[in-house]
Amino acid sequence: MHKGYLCLVLHSHLPYVRHPEHEAFLEEDWLYEAITETYIPLILRLESLMNDRVDFRLTMSLSPTLISMLTDGLLQERYLRHINKLIELSHKEVERTRWQPEFQRLARMYLDNFYQARNTFERFNRNLVFAFKGFQDAGKLEIITCGATHGFFPLMDVCRESVRAQIRVAVSHYESVFGRKPRGIWLPESGYHPGHDEFLKEAGIRYFFTDSHGILHGSPRPKYGVFAPVYCKGTGVASFGRDLESSKQVWSSVDGYPGDYAYREFYRDIGFDLDYEYIKPYIHPDGVRINTGIKYYRITGNGNKEPYNPDWARDRAGDHAGNFMFNREKQVEYLYELMQRKPIIVSPYDAELFGHWWYEGPMWLEFLIRKVVFDQKTIRLTTPSEYLAENPRNQVITPSLSSWGWKGYSEMWLQGQNDWIYRHLHAASGRMTELVKSFPCAQGLLKRGLQQALRELLLAQSSDWAFIMGTGTHIPYAVRRTKEHLLRFNRIYEEVKSNSIDEQWLKDIESKDNIFPDIDYRAHQ
Amino acid sequence: MSILRRIKEKLKNIIRSLKRTAWAVVPQKKVKQEARKPAEDKKAFMGQQETAVGKTKFYTAEEHGASRGMPQELPAGYGEDKIILQVRDPRWLHSYWEVTSPTYDRLKRDLKDDFHKAKRLLRVYDVSQIIFNGNNAHSFFDIQVSEYTNNWYIDTSGPGRSWCVDFGLLLPDGRFMTIVRSNTVSTPIEGPSWITDEEWMIPEEMFARLYGMGFGLGRSSAVGKAWQEKVKKELFSGALSSGASVASPVRGAREDRKFWLVVNTELIVYGATEPDAKVYVQDKQIKLKHDGTFSMRFALPNGKQVIPVKAISPDNKEERTITPVVTKETR
Repeated sequence: MHKGYLCLVLHSHLPYVRHPEHEAFLEEDWLYEAITETYIPLILRLESLMNDRVDFRLTMSLSPTLISMLTDGLLQERYLRHINKLIELSHKEVERTRWQPEFQRLARMYLDNFYQARNTFERFNRNLVFAFKGFQDAGKLEIITCGATHGFFPLMDVCRESVRAQIRVAVSHYESVFGRKPRGIWLPESGYHPGHDEFLKEAGIRYFFTDSHGILHGSPRPKYGVFAPVYCKGTGVASFGRDLESSKQVWSSVDGYPGDYAYREFYRDIGFDLDYEYIKPYIHPDGVRINTGIKYYRITGNGNKEPYNPDWARDRAGDHAGNFMFNREKQVEYLYELMQRKPIIVSPYDAELFGHWWYEGPMWLEFLIRKVVFDQKTIRLTTPSEYLAENPRNQVITPSLSSWGWKGYSEMWLQGQNDWIYRHLHAASGRMTELVKSFPCAQGLLKRGLQQALRELLLAQSSDWAFIMGTGTHIPYAVRRTKEHLLRFNRIYEEVKSNSIDEQWLKDIESKDNIFPDIDYRAHQ
Repeated sequence: MSILRRIKEKLKNIIRSLKRTAWAVVPQKKVKQEARKPAEDKKAFMGQQETAVGKTKFYTAEEHGASRGMPQELPAGYGEDKIILQVRDPRWLHSYWEVTSPTYDRLKRDLKDDFHKAKRLLRVYDVSQIIFNGNNAHSFFDIQVSEYTNNWYIDTSGPGRSWCVDFGLLLPDGRFMTIVRSNTVSTPIEGPSWITDEEWMIPEEMFARLYGMGFGLGRSSAVGKAWQEKVKKELFSGALSSGASVASPVRGAREDRKFWLVVNTELIVYGATEPDAKVYVQDKQIKLKHDGTFSMRFALPNGKQVIPVKAISPDNKEERTITPVVTKETR
């Protein structure tokens, strides 16, 4: 008889980056890298579990922007081009490293990875969302939604219509892709503001996640800490709190698993290491060196890096999976005694942490799942829906304002480098609400204008832009995206108000910012 | 109140003692002990890794695209008098405001000289648990701002309270004239709530343990000990416990090198023959370009490389072999 539950959650999201107006666009690589290094490895690992009939449970959010990019024809075409280039480069690398067996072995490993990525991509007709849907339909994976464009809700509290729009648009997009409503949501950046659960309830969403202090600092005091969900007062939407102990073991680069010396080093990439003339055809057409994804070294420690050894890394990933499971067993045993009830350990991670940054992450996840299913009886894997069906009686509280960002609240997205955006974002939200009120049932060109207005507003709201400005790298792109969408929004607003929509121009930006083709502009009210 | 305060103190102590039995997950890097409050320690951790890992999603080239140009500027204002207040964290608020020229013109007309003598103020009201009518705040404090300021971070030092801000003028006679009033916001509490409900009562001691565990901080159970022993025995010998720092996404490997030098060597082997000949380099057939040329590139490690290049005529009747021998040593 098991004594508690483990709920593994992967949050996958990338901002909408798609530039048909440029032949090659650097920031589109964020998607291509994540496909090769994270999404496909995860799909392959989950397939391997399915093939062996492992009865696993995993929860995963796929943000609407990510789904939109994964299903976009242009980006799919460009991904193939991207992976073909990598295959070509890997062939050259296998030749180049002929006299260095320790490197040639790795070059072959990457060549295999890239071939496998291409095959998988083509096997699913270029649409990887199908793969995840398959796991969901088989009852193993619970896919949840996220804010439409990953807007940070706590900083939209002064224009709640935008929170509602982020949620409504996400839910209807999810429905169109998966054929049913989402049961849960990953609040962007785990940002919760008391009261926003009303919009979740309205959209039929039954649960969300908060960071630990969202529950622990909730009122009244949560009897079981983060080890049981709570229902939000007034709405009954369930909230699951993150367990920081298990988080830290995986997230932390210093005392977590990914910092182990046997694992692959993220920061040594041949895109930066090799001779410029040689690597030039595989970096950005402008000649800027970029990551190729081919990385030959292991973490090793400071100074001289040593070649990566996949066998050591594999063994270590197995050890770490065992270690993680052992700790959860002990944690659950202890909590079960203390609580006199089966605890749930909620362990959420950025999906892109697995594979992209922590190369061995997908492997670790597969090992962990196999071990938990076969090697012990104390803990059981679960999803929030399954847990709630088995444990419907939970305490009612009001969770606290919180996020999983730097310092736990809103500072990551509200600091010197990015605070200027809110004046504009909030003004645009107010204007959007005004437009919806003025035109409750628009048709034809006017409707197209209003739809595009909401697309532009949502795209401007992506928390990624403020995040990037806050971290201090890549600022020009983030600033540009924020301004561009706001300017487009403002122009549409003016044109709609003065009944002079420039159809040619509208058509142009409809083709550029083509997300959510069937968007209902009335979601923003 | 005093009972609550005592419970609060007690809880704080329990949590503090839990934190003290700090619980090494993997032998930790010794961090320089700075005189920081425990609460700040917690905050420093929170979200730091999430930020660092999040950053790697956007890790491509730095500062690219000056050539792409920036779109035109956003409007400086939206023609509406308003002030907005947002919560940054339990203690800090951020406010931005806009006052239009017609409004200032009207004030100038009405106040005449006094307008120019007046100071611009943010008046921050504590409006916890009341419906604020402008006169019934529990307390307020003022922040003087310059004519050109249009936003401000406000330190309230007051978690778990509600706030409202007026932007206005402090006239020479001491009167305060509100120009715009903000929305009301509530800061979250910084610790666990003092409110408990009867149905879900929990002993203090037990809550303190759950609280500590939720944050992954202290440990007073078998969990910590067992984990530490297992770690020591099975997983981490030598390498990690030495405390050498691990490449961290927080720093980025490139940043901690100061002066450095890397030298690598590669060897290019190239040549030409009849376009339809077969060519083998080190017994491995290679593909010729259309004009019969070939070029290959190898990483060149220390030592001697013997590289026979063999060409066979299309009719298989003739054969030529040339064998470069290359020796590399590094001193």
